Amino acid sequence: MFGRRNEQPKGLKIIIVGCGKVGSTLVEQLVLEGHDITVIDTNITKIEELTNLYDIMGLEGNGASYSVQMEAGIENTDLLIAVTGSDELNLLCCTIAKQVGNCAAIARVRTPDYSKEIGYLREKLGLAMIINPELEAAREMARILYLPTALEVSSFAHGQAELIQFKIPEGNILDGITLAQLSSKVPNKVLVCAIERDGKVEIPSGMSEMKAGDIISFVAQRATIKNFMQNISVKTSKVKSTMIIGGGKAAYYLASQLLHMGISVKIIERDRKRCEELSILLPKAIIINGDGTDAELLKEEGIDSMESFVPLTGMDEENIMLTLHARQLSNTKVITKINRLAFKNVIAELKLGSVIYPRLITSESIIAYVRARSASIESNIETLYHLFDGRVEAIEFSIDKNSKVTNVPLMNLKLKEHVLVAFINRNGKIILPSGQDCIQIGDTVMIVTTHNGFDEIEDILK
Amino acid sequence: MNISIIGYILGQILRLQSLFLLLPSLTAAIYHEKSFISYITVAFSCFVLGTVITWKKPEEQVFYLKEGCVATALSWIVLSLSGAFPFVLTGEIPHFTDALFETVSGFTTTGSSILSNVEALSYSSLLWRSFTHWIGGMGVLVFLLAVIPMSGGSNINLMKAESPGPSVGKLVPKMRSTARILYLIYIGMSIIMFLLLLLGKMPVFDALATTFGTAGTGGFGIKNDSLAGYSPYIQWVTGIFMMLFGVNFNAYYFILFHDVRKAFKMEEVRWYFTIIVLSVFVIFTDLMQFYPNFGDALKDSFFQVASIITTTGFATADFNLWSATSKSTLVLLMFLGACAGSTGGGLKISRLIILVKTIFKELTSYTHPKSIVKIKMDDKPIEHEVVRSANVYFITYMIIFVVSVFCLTFENIDLISIFTAVAATFNNIGPGLEMVGPTANFGHFSDFSKYVMIFDMLAGRLELFPLLMLFHPELWKETIKRKLK
Repeated sequence: MFGRRNEQPKGLKIIIVGCGKVGSTLVEQLVLEGHDITVIDTNITKIEELTNLYDIMGLEGNGASYSVQMEAGIENTDLLIAVTGSDELNLLCCTIAKQVGNCAAIARVRTPDYSKEIGYLREKLGLAMIINPELEAAREMARILYLPTALEVSSFAHGQAELIQFKIPEGNILDGITLAQLSSKVPNKVLVCAIERDGKVEIPSGMSEMKAGDIISFVAQRATIKNFMQNISVKTSKVKSTMIIGGGKAAYYLASQLLHMGISVKIIERDRKRCEELSILLPKAIIINGDGTDAELLKEEGIDSMESFVPLTGMDEENIMLTLHARQLSNTKVITKINRLAFKNVIAELKLGSVIYPRLITSESIIAYVRARSASIESNIETLYHLFDGRVEAIEFSIDKNSKVTNVPLMNLKLKEHVLVAFINRNGKIILPSGQDCIQIGDTVMIVTTHNGFDEIEDILK
Repeated sequence: MNISIIGYILGQILRLQSLFLLLPSLTAAIYHEKSFISYITVAFSCFVLGTVITWKKPEEQVFYLKEGCVATALSWIVLSLSGAFPFVLTGEIPHFTDALFETVSGFTTTGSSILSNVEALSYSSLLWRSFTHWIGGMGVLVFLLAVIPMSGGSNINLMKAESPGPSVGKLVPKMRSTARILYLIYIGMSIIMFLLLLLGKMPVFDALATTFGTAGTGGFGIKNDSLAGYSPYIQWVTGIFMMLFGVNFNAYYFILFHDVRKAFKMEEVRWYFTIIVLSVFVIFTDLMQFYPNFGDALKDSFFQVASIITTTGFATADFNLWSATSKSTLVLLMFLGACAGSTGGGLKISRLIILVKTIFKELTSYTHPKSIVKIKMDDKPIEHEVVRSANVYFITYMIIFVVSVFCLTFENIDLISIFTAVAATFNNIGPGLEMVGPTANFGHFSDFSKYVMIFDMLAGRLELFPLLMLFHPELWKETIKRKLK
């Protein structure tokens, strides 16, 4: 299996228009997966920065122009991803690419004006996917605020199942017991997928022991999660109030979701005009016009009595400073949004709690799509998440055809090491599998693994 | 500086060298020559040394332009040094400096020889000489990129350091595929030429050696009179293929995989052919006064123009005896060189285009002082950085040229010989005029002069700066400091 991968890199030909934040993250990730990438941008310095770092080709010009696309070889391209700063340009790039090259196209569209029409746009323009990093990030933040003890919440099987990451507190029931003993202590059915201890992540077996201070991630049916958390005596109630600093797109998306969940929202935004816009868009939220980095103002607005605090300014440094400030004042739940990936290790050292990287969320969904495209037809990737800084991948496959893994009891499958079948979703019912269960056609199956680059279900076999 | 990756690349180069040396070893075995022992010993030692060095892959695989340049320059030096040993061991070129000169001349596709009687060499040494042209022509690091997987995008820095031309681009997104495409075109064209030569009833050995010499635009002959003794058919085939190997390889890529029209639209290719036609015309009309035969005049003028502009250096006639007009035309062509991205040397046509256009730009700025003109090539504006580097290249080129000429004046020979000797080695051509003309050789120079010319050949092939980088004090200061720590 490994040899085959090395000899015949089944790379797709991909054109990426726009070398901004998302564009460069995509390049980084897709190069690792062995695809042939051409980037287009109007700024030659940006192109050169990327071509000097990665094994890709660069082209200067307007990505929406027919001749530039022809020069980039659109006719033989499998996929075009448009991630320039302008939504309209992205849509135009994709429309032209569809006409000229008949390839799949992904556009980034993030203005709230279009966000409600995304389904319509996607269908009418025939796009493979429309991504909205701000909305995705807001969704993930909302999930965390709904269950504030969690560090990360990822949803699978159309929200039926969730993967929760949380830190085991001192003196918890879980401290010092093995996974095999877990079912006797707690009645709820959950499956622990990964344990991080002292910076090392492992996929556990029944004999693995949990300790206080570990970060564990477990999967369960959505309805049982709260119950389970209560049984292990961890706080589960959602937060009641949130303060958001900065009134950008992400703030808007997050606020509207939180208001929908019945959480009161206070937004502090520097620009008066933007405040007025927000107050029209979000009539239920409290909009404060002021500098969110002003400690006095934060005090006046009651930062110490807020149950959660989300700095969403455009500057990573400000976000980090605000998080640290809020933690010092009270025990409030904080989520930090970080744009730049370069200092991930430094930020991990700071122990900020929940950290959200919108760029990673976007590239995850695109990579899931790309892997699904380059895989065989027996299975398809539904969702993909990178957990623990990309050291663990959680992938949900849909099983479309018979293959080596179907209709064989799991205990008879020869799985690779560090691979776990986390759940089987059969017609909307989440099965946490035991050795007797089989994978059947029509299921979706979630795999948790420390291997990288699985793109079909048979990759789990030795 | 990432010393370990440079060491690793050098180790890989040594392993490649051992592979290359198998060809002359095989030749020696076929012809039952004594030189077999020498070639196989050197090949084996290179393999052992290379394997030991590359045993451990360096952890840090990222490297930048400076490491790329240093690795490239050192690779070429290592190749030349190790390639020179067989000549010494077989006793055919007993003096090491001479052997080194011959090998450097081979790898840099120069074709200047210190041998007065080439025909006395063994078959294996003759083939090794010609084969070094073939390896050096497309570049050994490009070959390395094509066969050895290296992770990351850093390897563009190797290609940048080795490939000729003012700006280096890829043909396809992956470096490895680009290197493979280039070598496939190169091998394909070599095979076609070889077959055409065989059709002309050339002996297999001669055809192989001539193909190697032509493809790399090198010019080592296997006969004392170069190609003059072969039939006109063979001379025409060689002449045409010399010209074709001097064309930017991107053009062939376009012809093969893309759009044929795009290849003919390339400005550089158009200039290249225009210059060839004009020069042939000048020399042809000049030669018609002496030659009785129309066909021979055309053949010799075309062959010599193609040979000099592509910096090959084969000869079908002793152009040293031609008129001053013809000789000076050839000397001018020496400096122009072939297209960027080809196997030829010299200043490169694309740099010439940039320089000429800069002159016109300057003239415009005199008439309209506030005008803004962007220099364009292939209808695309050229970055200021590229224009600047072309200018700096030209200045550096002239300085090294003048200094080299000065260094050679201690020889006590006439200035034309010295001037053309430097021009012929610096531009990787081979023969010059007078005492280094097509029928003469470089054997009579002192060791000092030979080392000056060895430097010139390497500098010319690597386009000056990668080699000059080795003499940049800051680079070594930093490295030594780090070592001391």
